[in-house]
Amino acid sequence: MSRAADRRDWSGLFFVLPFLTAYVVILIYPLLRGMALSLQQVDLFGGGRFIGLENYARLFADDVFIRSVLNTFALALMIVPLLTVIALALALALNRATRGAAVFRGIFFSSSVLSVTIVTLIWRFVLAPDAGLLGETAQALGAEPIPFLSHPTWSLWALAITTIWWSIGLPMMLFLAGLQQIPGDIYEAAALDRASRWTTFWRVTLPGLRRTLVLVIMLQTAAQLQIFGQAQLLTGGGPGGATRTMVLFIFESAFARWELGYATAAAEILFLLIVLITLTQYATTMRGSEDDGGR
Amino acid sequence: MASLELSNIRKAYGATPVLDDVSLSMEAREFVAFLGPSGSGKSTLLRIIAGLETLDAGEVHLEGRRIDQLPPGDRGVAMVFQHYALYPHMTVEENMSFGLRNARVPREEIASRVAEAARVLEIEQHLAKKPGQLSGGQRQRVAIGRAIVKQPKLFLLDEPLSNLDAALRMRTRVELAQLRQRVDAGVIMVTHDQAEAMTLADRIVVMHDRRIQQVGPPMEIYSRPANSFVARFVGSPAMTLAPAEPVPGDGAYARVRLGDGTEVETRVPRAGLPATGPLQLGLRPESVTVGGADGGVTTATVELVERLGDRTLVYTRLADGLEVIAEDEGNSRLQMGETVRLSINGAATHLFDADGRGYHAEARPE
Amino acid sequence: MAAEGSRTRWSPLTLLAILLAAAVMVAPLIWTLLLSLKENSALVGNSGAALSPPYTFENYRSILQGNQVFRWLINSIIVSGGTTLGVLALCSLAGYGFARLDFPFRRTLFIFVLLGLAIPEQAVILPQHQLFAELRLHNSYPGLILPGLAGPFGVFFMTQYMRAIPRELDEAAMLDGASRFTLFWKVLLPLTLPAQATLGVFTFLASWNSYWWPLISATRSDMYTLTVGLAAAQMNYAQTSGLGFLMAQAVFASIPIFIVYVLFQKQIVRAMAGTAVR
Repeated sequence: MSRAADRRDWSGLFFVLPFLTAYVVILIYPLLRGMALSLQQVDLFGGGRFIGLENYARLFADDVFIRSVLNTFALALMIVPLLTVIALALALALNRATRGAAVFRGIFFSSSVLSVTIVTLIWRFVLAPDAGLLGETAQALGAEPIPFLSHPTWSLWALAITTIWWSIGLPMMLFLAGLQQIPGDIYEAAALDRASRWTTFWRVTLPGLRRTLVLVIMLQTAAQLQIFGQAQLLTGGGPGGATRTMVLFIFESAFARWELGYATAAAEILFLLIVLITLTQYATTMRGSEDDGGR
Repeated sequence: MASLELSNIRKAYGATPVLDDVSLSMEAREFVAFLGPSGSGKSTLLRIIAGLETLDAGEVHLEGRRIDQLPPGDRGVAMVFQHYALYPHMTVEENMSFGLRNARVPREEIASRVAEAARVLEIEQHLAKKPGQLSGGQRQRVAIGRAIVKQPKLFLLDEPLSNLDAALRMRTRVELAQLRQRVDAGVIMVTHDQAEAMTLADRIVVMHDRRIQQVGPPMEIYSRPANSFVARFVGSPAMTLAPAEPVPGDGAYARVRLGDGTEVETRVPRAGLPATGPLQLGLRPESVTVGGADGGVTTATVELVERLGDRTLVYTRLADGLEVIAEDEGNSRLQMGETVRLSINGAATHLFDADGRGYHAEARPE
Repeated sequence: MAAEGSRTRWSPLTLLAILLAAAVMVAPLIWTLLLSLKENSALVGNSGAALSPPYTFENYRSILQGNQVFRWLINSIIVSGGTTLGVLALCSLAGYGFARLDFPFRRTLFIFVLLGLAIPEQAVILPQHQLFAELRLHNSYPGLILPGLAGPFGVFFMTQYMRAIPRELDEAAMLDGASRFTLFWKVLLPLTLPAQATLGVFTFLASWNSYWWPLISATRSDMYTLTVGLAAAQMNYAQTSGLGFLMAQAVFASIPIFIVYVLFQKQIVRAMAGTAVR
């Protein structure tokens, strides 16, 4: 429609130009430059040399990188299901209009506003066997403290627990928002049909939360594949690389070993993984809405 | 001098024409209603006058000045929007003075105009409120006030009553009628409600299918519709259009035969009618009565009786299946399914030719 | 709120579970607070001492008496504040442009911007670092602020919000003789205040908590933000003044963000939930 309100001319461009400039210079150009960088050998002093896919070939042969990929997946597998289930349980329990529920919602969301540095600072002195809350408690009970930060398996759990504690707020809020979308009369109908609470949950609530569930799982998977600060600060990737994640690998390659091209190639692989997850979410929810339309 | 002059206006959205060679001339201080169904182009025409739409061809003059190239704020027109379009974050006073401030009217002048408009519209006690705190009728008056303070040469009202409930609509109708007495400007109102148009307007512009169908005073539109569209669109319930054959003869007035064989003597002059071709006989309910002194001209079955109190509308069906709406007195005893005789007042009938053009009785009822 | 169970009270078992979970949430915070209130010397080799008095504000006094934490706090405020103002300005302008004005390639450009939503930080941060080094922007406020301005979420958000404002208001303003700028500044912008608040709080939080970029861009300790400063502090805490002081720094650094949280809880939750809409 050619409303006079938006006369077609170039002047409108001036409103979007400031952002577009920032967007192109600071985001799009580095994105493309990164792709080029991943095909080069670059050291501390710049001066890239084109080496084709050699960085990628090296990555797939690099045990440290492979290990970091496996660590990252392991963390995601530990964190995402637990986080989803706990967040859903909390949302179901706290989905009511009482003052108490609001206070609890506030408590469970509060950790989300902290920075990763503070979170790891707090948890370091909860988990540390010698000076931590858990260690002190274990000693007081006469038990042997769990070596959360120095044992290969336990240290992964340390990252998982810290991360779950830190990020429980958002998925809970998303589930709460999803629960609000389910019309109340469905529950009344289910009650009239004498559905048990359990049946109601499986047959009414969960199907109603389908889209939210997909969203939470995909958002969290994408987030956990990018886990960085916890690993760097809490365990430093150790012991013996047991908690080195992909982003930590990228960080170390770039800023400890100064192999910028190599690090960028690893970053591109991570980028690809995240895009795949986003596309999966898109496809899943799209198919979901077609299902809805077909009913 | 003509107040508003529209000449040969054309407008298309892409390949879809919405206005096709529209011309119109408006007298100073005249109240004109654009009446038509949705999609008839009436709103587009209003928005072109306001400057909210561009036109593809044609010119708009207001009091001799060409305005179609000017921005909306410089045209000397003010508009009352369908949903009022009050600025939600401004007080009533700020809403009314916004336009004047943009036009750099002196501060004292703004204050006195706003105060005067608020007094006239009885919204003085609401000046410090935000629109969200007002009722629908109050918002409507603020919207009118915002237009008044600009002292425009022309008011444009876009479906001003459509958002009000029935009671408020009647009241606001009265207020609009008073408004036009008070202001020294023309008024154009877009509406799809014929009752609104009939009560308020000096002249009605009936629009349909991208064109102006007829322009005239309300009663002329009602009693001498230019074509079958206008005939059916104006008047409620709609005029019955009965397929009719001309009956050859040499009287001064046309005589036609309906599908069930009934012959009706009209007061439409035979001269001027097309020599051949099918016609349609236009019957308003008040020209068809049940029973009647002459015992009626045809027989029909009652399908529905709509009691309006002062009169009764009787929906009947003739032998050939044609539905005819007739009128009976208020205390009619008719029942559904009854068979009745219908009389037709030939002097109040209309004829339409194959192209829909209307022909009317010589002696006007008004 | 119409939902399952909202009419009934919590069963004792549910309540117990909620309380237990809440305890897990709160216990680390209280532990941190207690540690921060202890003399450093009292905690050496025995952090369990934190569970019993005596408590002291000594550590907080040390912070207030002048400490790098102050400098970091100011840096954080400048960087997060600057980022927030920048994002609001750029996104309001762009949102207005995309939502209301017609110019060549508008649709194409909008889609081009939307595609940016799929770009994670990791895909650009290394070349960004290289670029900013070439522009000599590291260890500067612009260097810390600029990357936060390029994200497309705010543009998407403001465009959607402005599209929802009725066009009639623009038209009324045009008949009121408002220029395009007056229309934007006096009519549309005030109406987007709720959206500005949501986007602003969201941006402020994200910037305040961002870690990766300031970690590699601010390498001089006087340019650290709180996040990076505290990271450095916890890495070398053995050499510095002790556990109690470290925890006091953590508590001190959390105070501004908790204030923001309490003040803007509604906007924060809305902004977070907003990420779900897309």
